[in-house]
Amino acid sequence: MAKVLEGPGMGLMKKWGIHVPNYVVVTSVDELTKLGQANEWLKKSKLVAKAHEALGSRFKLGLVKVDLDFKAAEAATKEMIGRSVGSITVSQVIVSEMVPHKEEYYCAVKSTREGGEILVANCGGIEVESNWERVKRLCLDVGQTPSPEELEKLAKNAGFTGALAKKMAEFAGKMFGCFDNEDAQYLEVNPVVLRESDGELVALDAVTLLDGDAKFRHPDWNFSFAAEFGRAYSKQELEVMSVDSKIKGSVKFIEIPGGDTAMLPAGGGASVYYSDAVVARGGKLANYAEYSGDPPDWAVEVLTDKVCSLPGIRNIIVGGAIANFTDVKKTFGGIINGFRKAKSEGKLNGVKIWVRRGGPREKEGLDAMRALKDEGFDINVFDRNTPLTDIVDKALQK
Amino acid sequence: MSILANKDTRVVIQGGQAGVNAARRMAEFCYLIKRPLNVEAFVYPPDAGKTNEIPYGSGLIAIPVYRTIAEATKSHPGINTSLVYIGADRAMKGGMEALDDPHIKVVSMITEGVPEKDAKLLGTHARKLGKVFNGPSSIGVISAGACRLGVIGGAFDNLVLSKLYREGSFGVITKSGGLSNEIIWICSQFADGVTTAIGIGGDAYPGTDYVSYLEMFEQDPQTKAVVIVGEMGGDLEERAAEWYGAKKRRIKLIAVVSGFCQESLPKGMKFGHAGAKEGMKGEGSARSKSDALKKSGAIVPPTFGALGPAIKETYQELLKSGQVKEVVEPSVLPKLPKSVEEAMRADEVMVAPLIRTTISDDRGDEPCYDGYPASELINKGYEIPHIIGLLWDKRLISKQEAEIIKRILMLSADHGPCVSGAYATILAACAGIGLSQAVAAGLIMIGPRFGGAVTDAGRYFKYAVDNKMTVDDFLAYMKKNVGPVPGIGHRVKSLRNPDKRVKELVSYVKSLNMKTPCLDFALSVEQITAAKKDNLILNVDGTMAAVLVDIGFPVDSLNGFFILARTIGLIGHWVDQKRQDSRLIRLFDYLVNYAAPKRREVPPLK
Repeated sequence: MAKVLEGPGMGLMKKWGIHVPNYVVVTSVDELTKLGQANEWLKKSKLVAKAHEALGSRFKLGLVKVDLDFKAAEAATKEMIGRSVGSITVSQVIVSEMVPHKEEYYCAVKSTREGGEILVANCGGIEVESNWERVKRLCLDVGQTPSPEELEKLAKNAGFTGALAKKMAEFAGKMFGCFDNEDAQYLEVNPVVLRESDGELVALDAVTLLDGDAKFRHPDWNFSFAAEFGRAYSKQELEVMSVDSKIKGSVKFIEIPGGDTAMLPAGGGASVYYSDAVVARGGKLANYAEYSGDPPDWAVEVLTDKVCSLPGIRNIIVGGAIANFTDVKKTFGGIINGFRKAKSEGKLNGVKIWVRRGGPREKEGLDAMRALKDEGFDINVFDRNTPLTDIVDKALQK
Repeated sequence: MSILANKDTRVVIQGGQAGVNAARRMAEFCYLIKRPLNVEAFVYPPDAGKTNEIPYGSGLIAIPVYRTIAEATKSHPGINTSLVYIGADRAMKGGMEALDDPHIKVVSMITEGVPEKDAKLLGTHARKLGKVFNGPSSIGVISAGACRLGVIGGAFDNLVLSKLYREGSFGVITKSGGLSNEIIWICSQFADGVTTAIGIGGDAYPGTDYVSYLEMFEQDPQTKAVVIVGEMGGDLEERAAEWYGAKKRRIKLIAVVSGFCQESLPKGMKFGHAGAKEGMKGEGSARSKSDALKKSGAIVPPTFGALGPAIKETYQELLKSGQVKEVVEPSVLPKLPKSVEEAMRADEVMVAPLIRTTISDDRGDEPCYDGYPASELINKGYEIPHIIGLLWDKRLISKQEAEIIKRILMLSADHGPCVSGAYATILAACAGIGLSQAVAAGLIMIGPRFGGAVTDAGRYFKYAVDNKMTVDDFLAYMKKNVGPVPGIGHRVKSLRNPDKRVKELVSYVKSLNMKTPCLDFALSVEQITAAKKDNLILNVDGTMAAVLVDIGFPVDSLNGFFILARTIGLIGHWVDQKRQDSRLIRLFDYLVNYAAPKRREVPPLK
């Protein structure tokens, strides 16, 4: 799953024939000023300026300003760029044309097990969530394209009549075209508005989730993906992502501020059970991490370095099930190098390390971990005979 | 019994190296259960027509590689299953090709990172054809005592420890590859082991779901209970619960679901597998899944740690009710033969080495010459003559000796295009032969008549000095036993036309105030021979030989100095000809004395 910010999301919709307001994405006021000279609409229209970042509740944070003239848009851009919110700094602002309208609607396309689902409602904005029963659906099998008749039926079902039903059906059809052709997993426009000037339906914003795995067949995806939670990726997270993109197998790392229990588990499945065990024991997770698919030892070393650098940690859980083909000795070699480096940098003081693992070359790997005791590490090593998450219980025992 | 993979499963693997690795793991399992290898073919266009060698026990089985599935199933009509190991961008095409082949009933896709839409199309297509599409991102399928598809089950030791060589009573379905082994292990420790364990893959929309397999397990009388390892996201667990609760089922269902941690973590955080994502209003959350399973009558332990005891309890009940009997383990199991490397690591075998070396070792991070790391020699100012000393005579020679060797190499690096070695190289270069062959052609000219007299010259001068012979005795000895003295005599140089190289080398060595018994002897031999005939002078070979013997190099290495030095020149000649784009040489007939019989009539054949 890969989230795309509003600008590139609207770009994709435009590509598939959906009307979107004029917009520009800028990284400085100077850029906006220059664009203002080249684009007449920026001078003539009322404008909206929004922080172009993966941030939740932008309205509340004052990062959305409406009904601006060009001068006010410049002022808003100046004010927003460089502002820090939590861990992120606003680096981009999207300035778009304000579209005068009276009616607001809703349209979304969602991936389902069978294929996809088109959702339409004749209310929009915040009204949708409180009137969820007004959202009507059209389910489609994968490979199937909705007919104009089906789409019109859907629009009529949702309460659209006459020419507007036809227009909404067409809009939903284009949304589906974008969804299907762009390997999207979720597309949402809320609100869809009826532009007063020409009576066209226009997408006023775009929530776009694409299938990152399909990137290979979309050479025109020239934008980067945004974090799916309400903040941008940290430097450490981006570093691990860049390692992840280069290797066979995988390494993953997400920071959770304020935690005291750091995770360094193996396997996409086991890692979540380890996280569950920490939470169930009343522990506070400092991160989510995972390595799998027999990654090279240097990649595991980079991951270990990030885990050891988490602030305020008391325990590190090096957990894992019995691997199918991940070489325990080799991947543990990377972890051990990471631990040694961290220790030499004065980290890991007062940090207890808990290890449980099985798989190819488990004995050699576990022995190597055990030997760290002699180097002054506070390390506790367990083999396959200790149930998977028992090390979490031991670690968090008071 | 088992489901999905059994004793009749015959496999084609689509893919390259990853597929070969899987076949090796599958062969280990076949060996453990004493059955023939179930992989019959590979499909991998780049290697079509070749074979992949798969170790089985201590032998090797050659499995053919085909260009297409159709070719594979035509040659191996028993194939009924395909394992897909090809890259995500070509996985759908490969999967479809397999599904469309009438012989193939099951396609299991191991490839990770397959686009969701492709996975859905594959799943839909398989259902339409009444076939099974398992995966993508599946670790594989293993039926205890019967069949292994993919690497599920892990290393050989783990197969044995998890008792996968014989059937148990528990089915296993997981989304997670890593946890599949863990559950198989738990089932073998807390109960009697597994029937079939299936990895369905952790993607959002796998080709199959828990229900399709629960239905099959329900039909399999050997399976008494099924363990499901679920996670947040999607609705596969809810569907399983719905199936289980719909009517009375024969099998018991034990399930755990992960993702409770999301309740206390930042919203929208993504965990584990691609499909592990909570929907709106708690849909697909660990709690809603867990609750649905509990409601359906499944056994849902509160934590993963409680899963083992829950399985144990279920097994005890099955024992008590007589549905299962205690298993008697076989007393002897096949042991996987160790590779020579493994056996040596375990101190179990001693292998007589094939060759022995005493000069160099490249097993570390850099080569060591007679024990000295190359980079350290460089950084401490040693030069090429020292490397020669270490590799040819196993000693660190002195600065002075190194200087002598350097001069020898410089003086004999090249002697023009006319000598036989250079001429042969030039001829080869003009004929379009490559560098190494052309230089080799030049080097094989080195022999008693060109450059190759160094060793023999050194040998006989040394013999004379060691035996304190007079020059007359020596010449008599040589005449009687050897013939002309090696190192004496020159084709074009003479007393009146002296060889400056020899003069240069002799005067330099003499200036060093070192003892030079061989050189002195050689020079006194020259005095006698040159007096007899003015071109019987000490030549370069003889001078080099005498000096090198004097500084202690072994006689057998002496020609090496000429070969080494002259290689520099020969390479130069080859490059020179190449640079000029020289034409092929054909000897002019006026340079040939045609001494063959004159043209005559061929007599009739008798």
